[in-house]
Amino acid sequence: MPSPPRRAVVTGLGVFSPIGSSPAALWAALRTGTSGVGPIRAFDASALPCHIAGEIPDFVAKTVIDKSYRRSLNAMARTVQVGVAAAQLGMQDAGLGKGDVAPERIGVEFASVMGATELPDLAGASKLASVGPRQPVDMDRWGREGAPEVPPMWMLKYLPNMPACHATILFDMQGPSNTIIPNDAAGVLAAGEAFRILRRGAADVMLVGGSEAKINPLSLSRFNAFAPLTRRNELGPRAVRPFDRDASGTCLGEAGVAFPLEELGHARKRGATILAEVVGYAAGLDRGVKGEGFARVIRTALADAGVQPGDVDHVNAHGLGVPELDRFEARGIAGVFGRDVPVFAPLSRFGNAGAASGVIELACSLLALKHGELPGTLNHDNPDPGCPIRVHTGEPRRVTKPFAVKVSYTDLGQCAALVVRRWEE
Amino acid sequence: MRRRVVITGMGVVTPLGHTVADLFTSQVEGRTAVGPMTRFDARTLPTTFASEVKNFDLTKYLKDPGRYAYCGVNTQFAIGATRQALEDAGLLDPSSGDRGRMGVYLGSGEGAEDFPALVNSIAAATGGDGKVDPAAFTRAILPVLDRRREPELEMHTTVGHLGHIYALEGPNVACQTACAASSQAVGEALELIRAGDADVMAAGGSHSMLHPLGITGFNRLTALSQRNDSPTTASRPFDKTRDGFVIGEGAGIVVLEELEHAKRRGATVYAEVTGYGSTADAYRMTDPHPDGKGAVRCMAEALRDAGLNPTDIGYINAHGTSTQANDSAETAAIKAVFGDYAYKVPVSSSKSMLGHLIAAAGVVELVVGVMALRKGVLPPTINYQVPDPECDLDYIPNAAREKRVDHVLSNSFGFGGQNISLTVSRFTA
Repeated sequence: MPSPPRRAVVTGLGVFSPIGSSPAALWAALRTGTSGVGPIRAFDASALPCHIAGEIPDFVAKTVIDKSYRRSLNAMARTVQVGVAAAQLGMQDAGLGKGDVAPERIGVEFASVMGATELPDLAGASKLASVGPRQPVDMDRWGREGAPEVPPMWMLKYLPNMPACHATILFDMQGPSNTIIPNDAAGVLAAGEAFRILRRGAADVMLVGGSEAKINPLSLSRFNAFAPLTRRNELGPRAVRPFDRDASGTCLGEAGVAFPLEELGHARKRGATILAEVVGYAAGLDRGVKGEGFARVIRTALADAGVQPGDVDHVNAHGLGVPELDRFEARGIAGVFGRDVPVFAPLSRFGNAGAASGVIELACSLLALKHGELPGTLNHDNPDPGCPIRVHTGEPRRVTKPFAVKVSYTDLGQCAALVVRRWEE
Repeated sequence: MRRRVVITGMGVVTPLGHTVADLFTSQVEGRTAVGPMTRFDARTLPTTFASEVKNFDLTKYLKDPGRYAYCGVNTQFAIGATRQALEDAGLLDPSSGDRGRMGVYLGSGEGAEDFPALVNSIAAATGGDGKVDPAAFTRAILPVLDRRREPELEMHTTVGHLGHIYALEGPNVACQTACAASSQAVGEALELIRAGDADVMAAGGSHSMLHPLGITGFNRLTALSQRNDSPTTASRPFDKTRDGFVIGEGAGIVVLEELEHAKRRGATVYAEVTGYGSTADAYRMTDPHPDGKGAVRCMAEALRDAGLNPTDIGYINAHGTSTQANDSAETAAIKAVFGDYAYKVPVSSSKSMLGHLIAAAGVVELVVGVMALRKGVLPPTINYQVPDPECDLDYIPNAAREKRVDHVLSNSFGFGGQNISLTVSRFTA
C-alpha cells in the first residue's frame, strides 16, 4: 500500500492590499462594498490615460520589517518591500519565528517580476548622457560619467527573486527557494509548486508569497502604452467591472501577500491554527485563448483533488474587467461548472496586482472559507452575455460546500487552478 | 516506483555555437567566444567585452518570424533552442503525442528596457536641482514607447510564446532565480513529470543582459571581470588571479520525458535525470556563504535523490563563475560533500569558454555534461594558470580529457542564494 499523500495546510496569512493590511481589515472590507481603487496618489499620474489604481494606503516598510533588518530596506524597491513585509506578517500570523522550523525543512515560493527602476536612481546618469528626446544616448558619456552615478546596489533593488531572498535570510529558510514570474498566473503557479514540494517531502513548510507594486511612473507609463487599462477614470471605484456588459478595461493594483503552507502533521504537532487545506493543482496553456484549455486545467485540478464540480462552493476568478479576457475566463469556468457554481472576483476592489494577483485573490477565498461567508463581487451590475457564468454579487452569502477553486491566467492563455478546502478537523 | 525521467532532445543557442554539436566541439577544443562588446558601444564602461551570440537568424527556426520581431533576443534565442530540442526529440510535429501532457518550464530572464526612451525621458524630467518630476517623465516617455515591443518585456511572454509556437499545452511555467534559474527549471520540470503533471517538458532557460543597463548594473556591483586588455583570458575560474565573471547570453532547452513514454515511441535516450537538489543559502543578497553551506546540502540532496554515492560521480560541471567568492566557496562545498574523493573527481567550468549565460547558464552547462557522458570526453577549464591554495581540486586545466563517466553532477548557484544541483546518468534500462 502506498502511504497516503502528505497534506498541505495554510497556517497563517500576511497581507498588504489596497483594502486592508491585515487579514481582519481585508475581511472587513470584503464584507462591505469597500473599494481601494481611486486616483493615484503616489505621484502626479494625471498625464496618463489611465490614472486610477489600487494603492496600499498605509504601507511604511520600516514599521513592519524586523529592526535587525531595516538597513537592507535601502536595497529594496517598493515591490520587494511589500513582499518581504508580507512574509514577515505571514510568518508572525502562523506563530513561526526564525528557527522554529528546522532551517533545511522550510523554503519559500514567491510570485514576483522584475521591478521598474526608481527614476532618481538613474537621474544623474541620464542627465549626463542624454542628448535630447528621440536621440541615441551618448554612450561615451554614459560609460565615463553616467555609470558611476548609478547607485552600487541599483540592480539588486529590482530583481524578481529578492522578496524570496530576503525572506530566506530573515527566517533562515534553507529549503527550496523559487520565484515564479508569469505575470497574472504566477501566484497560483507558485502556490501549486509549493504544494507539490510539500507533497513530495522536500520541505515541511513553504512560505508562499506574491508581491507587486507597479504604481510608479515607469511601470504605469509602460502599461498605459500596451495593457488594456480602462480610460474611465471618472468612475473611480466603479471603473473595473468584471464580467459586466459595461466593462471598459482594468487598472493596476499593488499587493504583498504571504502564507505558510505547512505539512499537516507538522502543523498539528506545534498546535498551529489551520486556515484551509490545499488539495489540488494543475497548470496548462490554452493556445486558442478561447476557454477550452482553461476548462481542461480546472478539470485536471479537480481530479488531482478528487473533487467533483458539485462539491465546489465557489470559483474565485481573476475578473479583470477586460471584455475579451473576461469572456475567455468565463468560458473556461463555464466549461466545468456551467452556471451552477457562484463566481467571486475580488479584483474590482483593488485592481490587478499582476504577479501578486493570484495570491491576494486566493487570500480572499481563504478568508471566505474561514468565516463561512462569500462576499459579493463589486461592479458586476449587468452581466455580459458573452460570460456564461453566475457571478455572486451583493450581500455575503453563506459558504455551503467545502471546496473553493482559485483560477488564474495570462493574456497569452497560461492557466493555473488551485483547489482549497475549508478546514474542519 | 517513482516515474523515471530521461532526456530525449537538446537544443542550444550560445556564443559557442547554435547547435549542441558545435557547442560541445568548442568546449572540448577549449575555444572561447569572448570578445569586445558589439551589441552596443561599451567602450567607456568598466567592462568593455562579453560573450555574445553571433549571427543568430530567427528565420531558420520560424515560418513567420515577423510575428516575433519585437521580442527581445532572450525570447528569440529560446525559440531557436526549443525548436532544435523538439526536432531532436522527434516531437516538433504538433500532431505527435498528447500536447496537453507536454509543457514548458523556463528559467527566464527579463526583456531589456527601452534604454534611449528611459534615459532621455528621465533626463527631460530632471530639473537643475537633480530632482525628477514624475509627471514630466510620463509625458516624455509615453509617446516614445513602442507599443509592439513593450509587452514583450513582460516576464510571462517568453515561455508563453514557446507553448504557442510549439503546441505545448501542458504546464507553462517560468522562474527567475538569477544564475540558478534554468537548472531550477529543469529540476522542477523533472518533478512535474515525476508527479504526473506532465509526460514531456521542454525545460531550460534563456537570457541576455548584454545591454547598457545590464552591464552598468553588474559593473556597479563589481561582479564582472574588468580585464579589458585580454577578454579571451578574462574568464578564469578557480585561477588565483580571477577578477569576476564574463557575461554571456543564450538559451538552452532539454526535452525531459517520462521513460515509458519515451520507450513507447522509440525515442533516443541521451541520459537519465536522476537527481535534483534545491536549497537556499539564507545568507546574503549576492555573496555565497563562504563555506558553501547551501551548496553542500544541495549537492548532497541531489545525490540522495539519485540514490548515488559521491564516488559514483565521474565529473562535476561546476558553477565556476570566475569570481573570487563563488569559486572558493564552491570548492569548499565540493570538498565537504566528496571528502578525499573531491581531489580525484574531475571538475571543470564551462564558463571559462562560454562566459556566464546568467539565467540560461545552468541548462547549457547541463547539456555539456550530458555530451561529456555520451562522448567520454570531459571539457577543460581554460585560462587556468595560477593555482589558488583555496581552489586545489582537479579542474581539468586547459585541455580536455578522455574519460568514461556514468554520472555527472551539474551545479548552479544564483544571486539571492538559490542553489541547484542536478545529476544526469548514463541510461540503463
